[in-house]
Amino acid sequence: MRSIRRKGEALASLALFVGAASLLFNGAACSGALAPPIPAAHPDDPTPRRGGILRLASIGEARRLDPAVLSDALAASAIRLMFDGLVDYDEEKRIVPVLAERWELADEGATYRFFLRQGIRFHDGEELTAEDVRRSIERALHPRTPNPNASLYDALVGFDEYATGAAPHLAGITVEGRYVVSMRLKRPDATFLPKLALPPLRPVCRSAGERYSDGWHPCGTGPFKLPLDGWARGSSLTLVRHDGYFERGLPYLDGVMWLYNMTQFTQRFKLEAGELDIYRDATQAEFSRFHADPRWASLGEAEAETSVAGEGMNVRVAPFDNVEVRRAVAAAIDRDHYAAIKASSLRPAYQPIPPSVPGYNPAIGQRHDHAAALEHMRRAGFAYDPATGKGGYPHVVTYWAYGNSLPEFTSQLLQQDLATIGIRIRIHLVTFPAWLAAYKTPGKTQMHYASQSQDFPDPSDFLEPLFSGKAINAEDSNNSSFYANPELDELLAKARGEIDSTRRQRLYDEATKIVCDDAPWAFTFYNHAYEIRQPYVRGYRPHPIFSMHVARAWIDRAASPSFADGRTPPPLRRVLASIIGGRR
Amino acid sequence: MLDARARSRFTRNRAAVVGAAIVVALVAFALLAPLVSSRDPLASDFVHGVGPSMMPMGPSALFPFGADRLFRDELTRLAYGARLSLVIAFAATAIASTIGATVGILSGYYEGSDGVRVPWAVALSLVAGVALVIAGRPGSAALIAAAAVASRLVAHVARVEWLKVGPRVNADGALMRLVDIGLSFPFLLLIIAIGAALDETSARTILVTLGLTGWLGTARIVRAKTMQIRNLDFVMASRALGQRTPVILLRHVLPNVAGPLVVIATVSVAQMIIAESVLSYLGAGISPPTPTWGRMLFEGWDYIQAAPWLVIAPGGAILLAVFGFNLLGEGLRDALDPKEG
Repeated sequence: MRSIRRKGEALASLALFVGAASLLFNGAACSGALAPPIPAAHPDDPTPRRGGILRLASIGEARRLDPAVLSDALAASAIRLMFDGLVDYDEEKRIVPVLAERWELADEGATYRFFLRQGIRFHDGEELTAEDVRRSIERALHPRTPNPNASLYDALVGFDEYATGAAPHLAGITVEGRYVVSMRLKRPDATFLPKLALPPLRPVCRSAGERYSDGWHPCGTGPFKLPLDGWARGSSLTLVRHDGYFERGLPYLDGVMWLYNMTQFTQRFKLEAGELDIYRDATQAEFSRFHADPRWASLGEAEAETSVAGEGMNVRVAPFDNVEVRRAVAAAIDRDHYAAIKASSLRPAYQPIPPSVPGYNPAIGQRHDHAAALEHMRRAGFAYDPATGKGGYPHVVTYWAYGNSLPEFTSQLLQQDLATIGIRIRIHLVTFPAWLAAYKTPGKTQMHYASQSQDFPDPSDFLEPLFSGKAINAEDSNNSSFYANPELDELLAKARGEIDSTRRQRLYDEATKIVCDDAPWAFTFYNHAYEIRQPYVRGYRPHPIFSMHVARAWIDRAASPSFADGRTPPPLRRVLASIIGGRR
Repeated sequence: MLDARARSRFTRNRAAVVGAAIVVALVAFALLAPLVSSRDPLASDFVHGVGPSMMPMGPSALFPFGADRLFRDELTRLAYGARLSLVIAFAATAIASTIGATVGILSGYYEGSDGVRVPWAVALSLVAGVALVIAGRPGSAALIAAAAVASRLVAHVARVEWLKVGPRVNADGALMRLVDIGLSFPFLLLIIAIGAALDETSARTILVTLGLTGWLGTARIVRAKTMQIRNLDFVMASRALGQRTPVILLRHVLPNVAGPLVVIATVSVAQMIIAESVLSYLGAGISPPTPTWGRMLFEGWDYIQAAPWLVIAPGGAILLAVFGFNLLGEGLRDALDPKEG
């Protein structure tokens, strides 16, 4: 009796083991081919077709949909569809009028007078007037509005009095007629129009009131509007067409939908099943599969590189208070290695300004040079002999990064590179919010992962917040290296007021050189997303500045085999089949 | 513990022998990691490790199990990872078994009695000790525990009456309700919650987390066994002869619950391997670059289709280890169980 039972038990556990092992192998080894792309119905006809909902997805979610409190890139994409600005960037990175018909300069470039288009309707049907522009700007810059971008607009006359609550109104904004509004600056500022093209000051409906409040239902003049039940926080956002949009015939789509908090895996399955139209969050492994498939390879396109990452060093604490140690770090890092671990979206960076930004000068930058790095270490008093492993910085440096993401891997490369010049680092992985709070607090970190995304395509948008002395704060400090250099500050101030673009360029080149040489950051890589889209998505290409700017996209979808009989494909079965290795 | 008859029962059980062989092989694999490969488990190889379209190299002569996403040798990492994975599993099991045995024996021995007098010194130090452990200061907790033991000795030897004063406590009831509460949370869910709550995790925090949450089942089983043993003649006899309770528990009860304890511990090692993997897989495990099997699985999961070896290698290792420890545990149970002999 007993031996039978035991035999049965042993057999059962063996069967379980074999089953589990084969499941593991099968699931992993099944790199089944991708489903074919779903073609456009009329690929040769360039006439836009109306209708359809464009479906996008993300691993994250938008947090707040009010332009006045814009704080994340996903929200920015949605806000750009719901709110138009007086001016905006076109596909060629030029500033063009949108709600403003035109503008003129006065006071030798210190005053902008905007003439609004007439007959523009908000989502609630009201007409846009100059008074709405003033109200929206005062609402966004009011001291009680938690606007993280307010200081971008400190060039406006009266900004300081208004921001401190000393003045009830913003003196620099004047309504000069029903459709005319003027903005006065303290002095000419070449960055003002680019900043005005950003979302924070865009006109909002009268329902938003004079002051910011949390519960406001987003309402603007953009091509898409948010229906009452359009935002299921944490899972999806659906925008629908604004029928009263001022550009006749636009938008073509009935709506745009974002699926939030969706893993890359799920997104890819949905794209293949025709349930997602553009897939943006591909991992390196997924990317390589699409890239290797000739049917899909041409359907992908890289977005502009609009962010820069680096290894931030706190210049107030040892050993990075010594510029030679910082130079050694900058010279020790092999950026090609960084880029190799995610070739689909990383490019080596040697300086703070991304290549897509006007004013990027490839001749300037830090260099990877191991011998030079060792020489810098020697000058710093930490001579290191790579052959014997003797010398180097005697203490372990703690490096802060956040887990479950790219820095988790790049930090391990940094560790390897710095070991070759005698700096040992301990990787301290925390959650994203913990990292965010820590590295921007003075004295909290010695060394950390750092990155900066562009608000507007201009060198000042990288150099000023990251390296100018006035960007140092007691908390939430954008200048997270706490690097202050009066010479640099002077250059930046001069460049900001310079209208002549050649002279401006020369000043920024100068500033970039100083930053690269003083090395408060060792710049490491530019990151961009890679978009893969179904061929039936038309009228859309990655915008050179913004992410997912789909305002003019249209859908022209051929009936796919799985949809031909009117049934939706069973996504669950497809997922299971591909994991277990069944046939597609 | 394993007498001649039990030993022969064990060796005749083929499944048990296979299990033992797997466990021995894994331990050897971990100990001999430097012999398995001369490579550095932490060093990227950008010369040979990079394959077509910048993907890691697949299994080849140079990289028997392929290269990982940072182009390091997967086999070498697997071998070094075995060390930490197994050490954590063994150490966590040791902690869990110690706590489980203590609670189980006390609870089982006092089951049905009308309460034990717990001196204030002991009760207070127990509360303080638990608080200190939660606050992450196990060293101070150990000091407090030592002080409590010392107070008992002083009370006994020097007959200090006030050190003996305290409330009567239904030890069994209190301890078992504690176990009930603990068992009402699924084990993996509980450690995930604790792992997520910690700001930074290290080998030590994982060890403590697993050890402090893994003893509940052990306590239950040891309690049942103790209740059997305390009524046996030799225990009765030593009580009748005036033997002190701690001595009875240590001399007579503990050796007799050791059998089941070893069996549970063996199976629990398998559970701990999984638990460590889960923690590491969710990113709440050991910080990089140190490899553990769970961490390797975590780093490789999104490459599952493009570079399947990154999942198969650590996944297979975990599978094999769990399988081996389970077979060994079951074999030991069958060998030690007198009813079935």
